[in-house]
Amino acid sequence: MNHDEAEPGLKVVDAFDLDDELRSLLKPGELLRDELGRRHRLPRYFYEIPSHEIALNMRLTSHFAMNELVLNDLREAPRLQQWPRYIPCAVRILANYLEQFRAAAGASVHIAVNGGYRSPSHKHSQYASAHMWGTAADVYRIGSTILKTRDAIEKYNEIAEDVSDEIRVLPYGHDVGKNADDHVHLDLGYVTLVPREISEDRMEQPQEHRPRFAFEERRRKERRAVVAADSET
Amino acid sequence: MVAKAQRLPVPPPQDSVAASEVSLYRNLLKIKDEHALRDLGISFYDAETTVQWSYNADAWFHAASTMKLAVLLGVFREVDRGELALDAPVHVRNRFTSIVNQEAFMLDLGRDADPDVYGHLGKTLSVKELAYWMITKSSNLATNLLVDVIGIPTIQLALDELEIHGIKVLRGVEDQRAFAAGLNNEVTAHGLLKMLRLIAEGTAYSQEACDEMLDILLDQQYRSGIPAGLPKAARVAHKTGNISTVHHDAGIVYLEGRKPYVLVILTQFPAEQGRGTAVAEVSRDIFNTLAGVVYES
Repeated sequence: MNHDEAEPGLKVVDAFDLDDELRSLLKPGELLRDELGRRHRLPRYFYEIPSHEIALNMRLTSHFAMNELVLNDLREAPRLQQWPRYIPCAVRILANYLEQFRAAAGASVHIAVNGGYRSPSHKHSQYASAHMWGTAADVYRIGSTILKTRDAIEKYNEIAEDVSDEIRVLPYGHDVGKNADDHVHLDLGYVTLVPREISEDRMEQPQEHRPRFAFEERRRKERRAVVAADSET
Repeated sequence: MVAKAQRLPVPPPQDSVAASEVSLYRNLLKIKDEHALRDLGISFYDAETTVQWSYNADAWFHAASTMKLAVLLGVFREVDRGELALDAPVHVRNRFTSIVNQEAFMLDLGRDADPDVYGHLGKTLSVKELAYWMITKSSNLATNLLVDVIGIPTIQLALDELEIHGIKVLRGVEDQRAFAAGLNNEVTAHGLLKMLRLIAEGTAYSQEACDEMLDILLDQQYRSGIPAGLPKAARVAHKTGNISTVHHDAGIVYLEGRKPYVLVILTQFPAEQGRGTAVAEVSRDIFNTLAGVVYES
């Protein structure tokens, strides 16, 4: 690898190494119940996004930037609205499915505010939902269609389900968490991702003399490729 | 058009106040008859002369959009306490839940006055932007979003803390379930007057917070109420309220060279009649009374 390619990739952090406040908000490794009482362990490895500008420019796939999946409003904990922000590493998997969904829908896919990653401290986070794993997206608009009718939501739900058996959608309806009436909700379930660059042999406490983070090397090529493609247009 | 002076420079002599009051009272009854108003409530306080006058000012009226003044107050209570930042982003979403049974409802955006807000559906607007559109264009969507952020109990708490007893805010806008259950927002002229006085005098919250509220109120874009009865040079920080059978306006009137006066005019009329010009006429009469000037017809 050339030295001029030494641009760091996505920074991965073990949330147990974050400061007390961040750990208490992100709750890495904690078990959380879903609406049926089943328990799920919250993710531990996060991407650290230094600034809004970087989030805007950091593409996860050709058509989805990191910014779209970390966009929250004042319902997110104030500390988590500041930069750097943290998002579970599994968001990369979600982005790939979103890219497939976009191709199947044949139009741009717009994720709502609070519709990507929501921390367990977000005011909308009552039960364990895939949003807390970074593996769910609420799509409020596809192309020029604002998703607010049964017909539109059911149409795109069907398209999403046809993309992959891994995708779950919420049916049209008015009960929060059970169905949706102003967006298409799609999620992959409680998926966690451990980047290959990180070691898992660490205790669940900060360790002063151990590496606190890693950079994902494999992201560089993809990001360069997107830049090259963009520059051709 | 103003025939004589546009200023209100000199407090009327003490012995003229009573005569002015009688004249004003007669004029208001005349307006009430001419417009076949079912009900009329008025209250004003003139900071220049310290004259306070009212008519039927403890009668309760459907608040219509004057309830948005209470929402504004609730928002700035939270801002003043450091609980809320004016630049905090709020997700613009047309989905709310009824206070009665938590059933979801959406606003009829075709009826909302402000495309500036629903043009941001799916995105964010700041608390300050929402407060601005809620007041200046009476945006129902902005109102419900802010009610969602701070909550009805906080709004009522803000009113209670300031001992404003003539305003009841029970729900957001277009909560039909709550409406059917008889839960409505109501105001009295005295209640709104007290709130506006506290804002005008900078005592509701910090001076900075009150100034922010006044700046928003001064940008009001609907001017068929109080401002329509005033000289063009008058600046009015106000909020209107209109539904099928009520037309209200509540505001602070700034005229050059004198302290402001606070005026609340609440009117209720028969549904078949439609909104008239009663509020503007009352506003003009009160201005004339305070100014001692006469309008050309």
